[in-house]
Amino acid sequence: MKKRGIGLGCGWYGTGYGNGFPDVSSAFVEIHDDGSATVSTGAVDVGQGSSTVFAQIAAEELGLEPQDITVITGDTDTTPDSGTSAATRHTYNTGNAVLKAVREAKERLLDHAAHEFSCTSAQGIELKEGWIGVIGDPSRRQPLADMVFQARLHGERFISAESSTARTTPVDRENGQGAPYWPYAFGAQVAEVEVDTETGLVQVLRIIAAHDVGRAINPTQVEGQIAGAVAQGVGYALMEEVELHEGVIKNPAFSSYLIPTALDVPNIQTIIVEEEEITGPYGAKGLGEPAMVPTLAAVVNAIYDAVGVRITSLPATPEKILAALVEKERTFGEGGMRQNIDS
Amino acid sequence: MNIELRVNEQDFRLVVEPDERLLDVLRNRLGLIGTKEGCGEGECGACTILMDGKAVNSCLVLAAQAVGHELMTIEGVGDRLHPHPLQKSFVELGAVQCGFCTPGMILSAKALLDRNSQPSEEEIKEAMSGNLCRCTGYDKIVKAVQRAAEEVAR
Repeated sequence: MKKRGIGLGCGWYGTGYGNGFPDVSSAFVEIHDDGSATVSTGAVDVGQGSSTVFAQIAAEELGLEPQDITVITGDTDTTPDSGTSAATRHTYNTGNAVLKAVREAKERLLDHAAHEFSCTSAQGIELKEGWIGVIGDPSRRQPLADMVFQARLHGERFISAESSTARTTPVDRENGQGAPYWPYAFGAQVAEVEVDTETGLVQVLRIIAAHDVGRAINPTQVEGQIAGAVAQGVGYALMEEVELHEGVIKNPAFSSYLIPTALDVPNIQTIIVEEEEITGPYGAKGLGEPAMVPTLAAVVNAIYDAVGVRITSLPATPEKILAALVEKERTFGEGGMRQNIDS
Repeated sequence: MNIELRVNEQDFRLVVEPDERLLDVLRNRLGLIGTKEGCGEGECGACTILMDGKAVNSCLVLAAQAVGHELMTIEGVGDRLHPHPLQKSFVELGAVQCGFCTPGMILSAKALLDRNSQPSEEEIKEAMSGNLCRCTGYDKIVKAVQRAAEEVAR
């Protein structure tokens, strides 16, 4: 018989290296005389989209389009170190470094422009849609490229280098006190599953995932990160297990270490919660790892809701579920009261 | 041994080892490095190409077995200036993350759309289930195939 159930999982996650480990990102920025800009940072985009986020941040500050920004990453000859692409840290930490660097280069540009436009303060200057000009006076503006080009002829360059260090202190080993991470990410997911009581096989039908990302700098990428994390979470919950025998992995192949295919991944509905993180770039914080955390609990809770057995070791394989169902029947009789049974 | 292969509508005369995999010939001898090697044992689908319009794992085909067949790799599907509707929709919908599975995904999807231009969501998932992806959760990949199917139909 196939039985359905729903389960809830909630998670919070400290982002960044944490526990006092130096967590530093850096960036170089140059605004060019063709109206484009370059961002250089050691932060490597491994597909999560960090380079796109950096281009968006620089473009937003400079009144340009993301395609006007060249992002150079991961070149030890030219880019400043920004640590690893790990710990859910690039959008937040490297994003902050990029934002600081862009603002620094921009500040010099605005000071120069204020002088050129005979303004007393750079606060009256704006960068918008590839133009630089006096706020509220459309007659006093020029293409950004022209301004930078002229500045260049006078020996002015708009180049900057900045870094950003995450807030973290080691936890006191005696009393557990400290501030190991900042910021924290929060999420909640609901899973709907179908459990086959004959085979023990679980099919996850649907996941609704709500995640607080501070600010979604790129909503499409946020959805992509959540869906990817949910798929990994489903694998973690139901099928993935490294089998070790005397230190040797017995299943080092996709035929024996199963990961979800397109057929195993449920329908995923994402809810992006934007609760501004004031220390992040435009209020953003990381999402990569935390989005996987609630999936496990949601799936395992949904199995309990469906068939009344509590699986306490992962993955929740058909074997474990069938064994738990047999145990439950033996203890309480068929259709007996729902009880916690440790697998 | 001397063989002739037809890849992306071009003929190539090659000298290959009898036990040389088609994947290696494509990548190393023809420079078609869009085809990726993942597991090398027919489980992940990263090396998927089309052989007479059918999606096959090129790591499981010997180059000599491909003689007389029409082969297509990702390089033959489209390019930057003339992307195939699938390539366009993958980019537009964010169906690419690290990109390693993408060439194989596109070719499996193309094989599907070429024989079934209006696939259901289940048919798409079934057709793509031989291609593993660790980044995207398949969500946007399935949507990109749906979008491309709509565009092909128009």
